[in-house]
Parts: sequence; C-alpha cells; structure tokens
Amino acid sequence: MDLDRKIALTSAAIYSALSLTASASFFVAATVTGDYTAVARIGGALWVLLLSYIVTMPPVISAVKKRMKATQ
Amino acid sequence: MTTRQITLPVTGMTCASCVSHVEGALNNLAGVEKAAVNLGAAKATVEYDPARASPAQMFAAVADIGYEVGTAQATLSVSGMSCASCVAHVEGALNGLDGVTKAVVSLALNTARVEYVPTLVTVAQMKRAIGDAGYEAAEPAAGVSAMDREREARQKEIRRQGMYLLFATPIALAVMIGTFYEYLAPAFRQFIPALLAEKWLLGVLTTPIVFGPGRQFFVNSFRGLRHGVTDMNLLYATGIGAAYFIAVINTLWPDAGFGGKGATFFESAALLTWFIVLGRYLEALTRGRTSDAIRKLMSLQPKTARVMRNGNEIEIPADEVLVEDLIRVRPGERIPVDGLLKDGYSAVDESMLTGESLPVEKKAGDTVIGGTMNKTGAFSFVATKVGADTALAQIIRLVEDAQASKAPIQKLADWVAGHFILGVHLLAILVFAFWFFFGYQMFFDPDTSFILSPAKLSEIGVFGFSLLLSVTVLIISCPCAVGLATPSAIMAGTGKVAEHGVLFKNAEAIENAAKLQTIVFDKTGTISKGEASVTDVVVGGEAHDSKSVLRLAAIAEKNSEHPLGEAIVRGAKERGLEVPDAEAFDSIPGHGVEARVDGREVLLGNRKLMAARGVDLAGLLAKAEELERDGKTVMFVAVDNAPAGFIAVADTLKDYSVEAIRTLHALGIETAMITGDNRRTAEAIARQVGIDRVFAEVLPQDKAAEVKKLQAAGRRVAMVGDGVNDAPALAQADVGMAIGSGTDVAKETGHVILIKDDLRDVVVAIEVAKATMRKVKENLFWAFIYNTLGIPLGAGLFYPLFRVIISPELAAALMAISSLTVTFNTLFLRRFVPSLRRGARGTGGPEAPRAPVLVSSAAK
Repeated sequence: MDLDRKIALTSAAIYSALSLTASASFFVAATVTGDYTAVARIGGALWVLLLSYIVTMPPVISAVKKRMKATQ
Repeated sequence: MTTRQITLPVTGMTCASCVSHVEGALNNLAGVEKAAVNLGAAKATVEYDPARASPAQMFAAVADIGYEVGTAQATLSVSGMSCASCVAHVEGALNGLDGVTKAVVSLALNTARVEYVPTLVTVAQMKRAIGDAGYEAAEPAAGVSAMDREREARQKEIRRQGMYLLFATPIALAVMIGTFYEYLAPAFRQFIPALLAEKWLLGVLTTPIVFGPGRQFFVNSFRGLRHGVTDMNLLYATGIGAAYFIAVINTLWPDAGFGGKGATFFESAALLTWFIVLGRYLEALTRGRTSDAIRKLMSLQPKTARVMRNGNEIEIPADEVLVEDLIRVRPGERIPVDGLLKDGYSAVDESMLTGESLPVEKKAGDTVIGGTMNKTGAFSFVATKVGADTALAQIIRLVEDAQASKAPIQKLADWVAGHFILGVHLLAILVFAFWFFFGYQMFFDPDTSFILSPAKLSEIGVFGFSLLLSVTVLIISCPCAVGLATPSAIMAGTGKVAEHGVLFKNAEAIENAAKLQTIVFDKTGTISKGEASVTDVVVGGEAHDSKSVLRLAAIAEKNSEHPLGEAIVRGAKERGLEVPDAEAFDSIPGHGVEARVDGREVLLGNRKLMAARGVDLAGLLAKAEELERDGKTVMFVAVDNAPAGFIAVADTLKDYSVEAIRTLHALGIETAMITGDNRRTAEAIARQVGIDRVFAEVLPQDKAAEVKKLQAAGRRVAMVGDGVNDAPALAQADVGMAIGSGTDVAKETGHVILIKDDLRDVVVAIEVAKATMRKVKENLFWAFIYNTLGIPLGAGLFYPLFRVIISPELAAALMAISSLTVTFNTLFLRRFVPSLRRGARGTGGPEAPRAPVLVSSAAK
C-alpha cells in the first residue's frame, strides 16, 4: 500500500471516529435530556456529524501526514 | 543541496484560507522547501529541490485541490519534421522545459501546440529548444503577451461571475417577491401572480440558482475536503446547502419536524448565493484596478523592433532582439530594448520609468532605456540588454516580487484567516448545541422575526431554529475581508510608488519604511554630486577680473590630471571661457602647477607654494579662510609673482537635496549624514543641507556599525546610498534605499531602489509607504470590526433582548459589503499624491537649513 493511501485511510479512520463520537454524543444527549422529536435528534446528530467532519479532517490529515512522513 | 525558486500564477483563489490551502498542498510535496502564496497577486512562490520535486508535480498538487496554475497557450509552426519519431523528438524537447505543462505536436499540420506557464518559460525558449532538437520553429501562429494573458484571465473571471449574476438576479428577485408576497402592499401585489408564493414554485426557482451559480462552492469545497483543507467555499456550501435542504424537506414533508411550511427558507438559499456571486463579481472588477501599475509597466514593452540584419532593416518580435543588434527607432516609437545610442539625436520621454517629466536629450554614446518613448528625432542604437535583463523587465519583476511578497502584518492576518474557518465551524457546533439544548427552551418567542424582514418564525421548531443560527454563524464569519485587507493595499502601494520611480523590493520594506525615525545619507554621490566644482572666484587686485583669473587658472591646469584641476577647467568651460594650451607647464607635486600663459608666469597652488615663491596673500587670506570653514578647497592664483586671486572648489549639493531634507524634517524624521570625509568638510555640507547629525571620518567598513548603533538606541533606520561601500550599511538598515544611478551592488543590496538621481524620492517612498500602511490598518479595522460585531449577532447573542435574528441572506450581504468596503477603501490609495509631487515643487534652494545639533566624529 503506498504512503498516500495509507495516510488517507489512517486519517479517515481517526476523523470518522471522532466525528461519529461527537454525533453520537449529541444524539444520546438529545435523547436523554429532552423531549425532542426523532427528526430533531437525528437531524441534529447529522448536522453535528457534518460539522465535526469539517472540523476534524484538516488537522487530523495534516498530523497523520506529518507523523507518517517523519517515520518513513 | 541546490534549491530553485519559481513563481506560479494560481487562479481560483478568493480568500485568505485559499492561501493556506494552496500553501499547504505545495508544502506537503516532497522536495518543496517553502511555498508562499500571495492572494492579491494570485501567485505562489515555491522554493524547491529540483532533484526531488518538479514544477509538473506542483501544477498537479494545485489542480488537485481545486485551483489552477494559470497557463497560456501558443501554437508554433514547426518545419523539418518527417515522421512520427520527429513528433516525439519535438514533444520531448518541449516537455523537457520547466514550465511547459503540455505539448502536442501535429505532423500533418506541422504545428506544436504548447500549454505553458508564462512565468517559467517563454515562447523564445521553446523555439530555441525546438531548434536545438534539429528542427525549425517559426513565430507563433497564435500567442498572446503576458499583459493580454493577465487581462484575459481577469476578464474570464469577470465574465463567469457576470453570467452567474445575470442568471441568478431575476430568479432571486422572483423568489424574494414570492416569499414576501403576503407582506407586499396590495397595490403592488395585484401585479404579482399568487402562484409565485407557492412553496413548491419557490423551490423550483431556487434549485437552478443553488446548482448553477452555487455549484462552484460545492465543487471547490468538496475538492478541498478530499485533501483535508477547508476554505471559504465550505462556509458558503454548508450555508447554502443547509438552507436549501431544510427548505426542500419542509416543502415536501412539512410534518417531518424541521419547522414545517413556515420554515422554508428558499429565499435564504437563493439570496445567499446571489449575494456571494455579486460579491465575487464586484471583487473581480475592482481587484484588477489595484494592480493597474504593473499593467501600465507591461504595456510599455513594445512588441516589435526594427533591427538591421545583413544590411536590411527587418521587423522582429522584441523578445528576439539579441545583444549587439543595431536597432532603428523613429520619432513617436517606443525603444524596444536597452542600448547605447550610435547615430542620431533625439529627445526621449523617460517619464514612464523615472517619473521625470521633461524629455531627456540623447546623443551618440548616451544610453537609452527600453520602453521609453522617442519624441523628436530618428536614431539607431546598439542593444546592450535584452529580454529579462532590460531595465523595464527588471522593474516589472521587482514590482511583481514586491506585490507577491508578504508584509509581516499580512502573515499574521493570513494565519488568523487561515485558522478562522475551523474555528468558525467549531463555533457553529457550539451555537447549534446551545440553542438546541438550552436557548430555544429559554428564549424562543413565536413572534421572532428576521432583521429587516416582516416574516415570522412562529412555526419553526427547535432543530430548525438552532440550525438557522448555526448556518448564519458560518455565513457571517467569512474572513474574506481580513484576507484581502493587506495584499490589496500593498499591491496598490507598490504600484503607486513605482509610478514615481521608486521600487520597493518587498512588502516588508514598505512596512518598515512607514515606521522610519532616522534616515542616514551617504554624502558623496547621494547628498552631494561627488565631483568637485568651482564655487567661488575671488579677485585679488584691480589688474584682474574673475573671468581672467579663472581663465588663467584653467589654462595652467589644462594638462593636469588632478581632480581639482579638472574642476577648474570644467568650471571655465561651463562659464563660456576658451581654454587654450599653455605655452609651458610644470607640475609641482603636492603644491600646485606653474605655467606660462600669454607670456606671463602663472602660479596656481596652495599657501605653501605661494609662500615659497614670495607671493603676498595678505589681502586674500581672510576670505579664503571663511570659505575653507565651509569645507571648500582654496587654490591661490599668482601672475608674475603678484597675487591675482583664488578659486574655491568644493563638492556641491545635488539638486533638491535641501528640499528633500526639509520635507523629511517636516515629516518628523531625523536626518544624519555618514562620510569618510574630514569633519570640517562634512559639517559644512551638513550645514548647507540642514542635516541633523553628522558621522564624519567613518571608514567604509564601519558605516554598517554606525547604523547598528542607531538601531541599538531604538531607532528605526533607513540608509540611503549609492556606492559599493554603502552596501553593508544598506543591508544593516531597516530599509536600505539605493540610488538608481549608483552601483549594481548597492541596488542589489537595497530594499528600495530610487530610479532617478533625486533625493526627493526618499520622501515619496516614505509618504507612499505611510499611506499604504495607513490603508492596511484601516482595512484590517473594517475587516475585524465586521467579524467582531457580526459573529455575536449571527450567533443570536442579542436574541434574548430583541427577539430578532439575522437571516442568512442578510449575513451574506454584510459579508459581501465587508469585502467591498476593504477593496474600495484600497482604491482610494490610487488617488494619493506625494506632497512633493503636488503641483509646484519648492525651489530646492539652500534657504533655512538647520544647523547640525549633534556632531559626532567617528574616526577609526
């Protein structure tokens, strides 16, 4: 597997995990704390997931790239 | 390791985050040492190891993240090809050139179609490469100049955004009218079909706007995200996408819980897109104007030259002129390259390069500068510098480099803007979470409306309300204006100052020049002319007058090679006196000369010589000493052993030195002079010109140390000089200003080049630098004040008090206004005129100079 692909997969695994955690946390919090409709809970979780992806992708990709290139 | 540096034109960048986007992509390439992108100039400067990275990889990296390296196309006709392998040879030769992105050769048409980066390779180089491969390439059948390409690229962007605007405007207007149908005045409403208010129709109208003009934001942000980078497009895409998506859901499935029919924000998606496209269109229109100067300079370059080859006059492209070609120029034509005038006489208008308003007379032996306008006579000249070596090409390169460089303040602004996007998305999550879990329950009021809109949000649910505020934060936070603030002003400033014959080599020099407190001038060649001139002729008796004294002295000195003797001969000739040869001449080393003129014995020299010959100087000494105190050198003249008078010689001030120093004082800047001359001479010159401080008897190698001492005392120092010996001080100073007529070493070392030999341009440089930095600060103020006020407004901070929120489309309008405010504010800089260029200039006379208040001797 070439380095670029390895970087992409490793990064994707990390930022996806972070984003899904944030999204799931939102969903759980919405379910536990209030009387929200399913649409609000799911829609909110999706919005958080999208924004979390946007927030986590650049730093995670950059960090993974740096680390992998340094250890190459 | 040997590194190389190239500059790539990058198109498609719109904001500061694009800068970090492109810089990131380039810096991540193996072999790239450093990549710096300038938004205003739309250029990336890359320093790389050619063994590990190639321009082609850079093009691919830039293209991969959604931008483009600006390329041009040329079609060359190639002769001598006979088979397919010839095609491969020619293609190989072209593709082997750095800067050629693609070369396709057609055997059938005998042409080579080349796509290339104009900053890296020229058509002439391509033709040479084809020639080296054993074929012949004729002039390009099609090709455009750098200026045309630059204009074409800008026009293309203006056309593209203009088309989008044309398409989106009527539809967005219809969507807005339809949305607010029920709030319209009845008189107006009767002309509007009620159908327009139907949500499904609003959706149908909005869709082509979102996926037509708005498509660029989705495509660009997706490309960026694929590579892990975010930019402004992402803010737009998430804003437009969310507004559109919610509106579609609420129209098709009003009971889905997204706020129902009362929360169909089609107008938000449509108007948001429209405002952003409008902003981009206006920006493309206005941004080009900040780089007018470079276009003006480029337009000076004539496209053709009439060259004598084999006795025939032929017209060839200017970039194919060779050194030592003989070139003919007629009245009214521009001079194609730099050279030395051989035959003919003319007056040449050099104002476009030097700012000098009067035409300069040119005769055989004089230099001519490419790009200047021949006014009166025809002449021929020998080319001495061609292509990239001409003064005009170097000036253009310097201005381009300065515009492409980043001032320290801009680096900070870019860093802030680059990291801002992520921060904004993080803030959008927090805003969403706050309003979802707490804010809606605590503060929501069904009477809620948007600012400047009668529409109510009564039906909106917790999710729709939180999403709306979250989206608004994304839109309103766009730091476009922050990214534009500095580069647009620097671009306008460097261009403006270049019009006056002052070249800043980089943006840092502008920033430093605006903060200067002390300016140190070299004396000889900078403040003074650097050559002795006759300043006074004093007569000692009634037998002579000043003309006869000067004439006798000049004849006696005619064969002398001493600088003072040469000054006396020149002085006599300048006063219209004839200077024949002496009947006899003898040099008395260290003392003077003696000669026989018209049968009389003339003695010219110092006191010692006169005393040795028994000449009584009693009547002359008082006046002589007075002049010597002013730094002048006195040469006594005796005829037949009787005193006839004396001649005072001194290094004289350059024109306008006094005026320049006086204006600097008016600007609150301290002036100093540094020289290797003795203290008395230095002080005399300083008094005449009004310099504040004098550093006399300073050895060349110690000039930099004196500058360093001033800096250590907390002063921000500029050094103005022209000689090789000034180079270390020019480099040491915060701003080194090299006089254009000076040595190449000085010009290479200096941060600023004053093309003309005019000290007033120091004032011009400082005034324009101050105006530019003032503009940068104003721009940054407007940009940051917008975001500082806009973000809390968008996040709903004031909602609990006023029960109104800002709509996404209004946020987009404010964002566009912010960028335009900055751009228009910068355009005012084009109207700036330095004080010494406003109408009448002062006389430059020596009146009211200030005496040096502190005189220090730095003898080593």
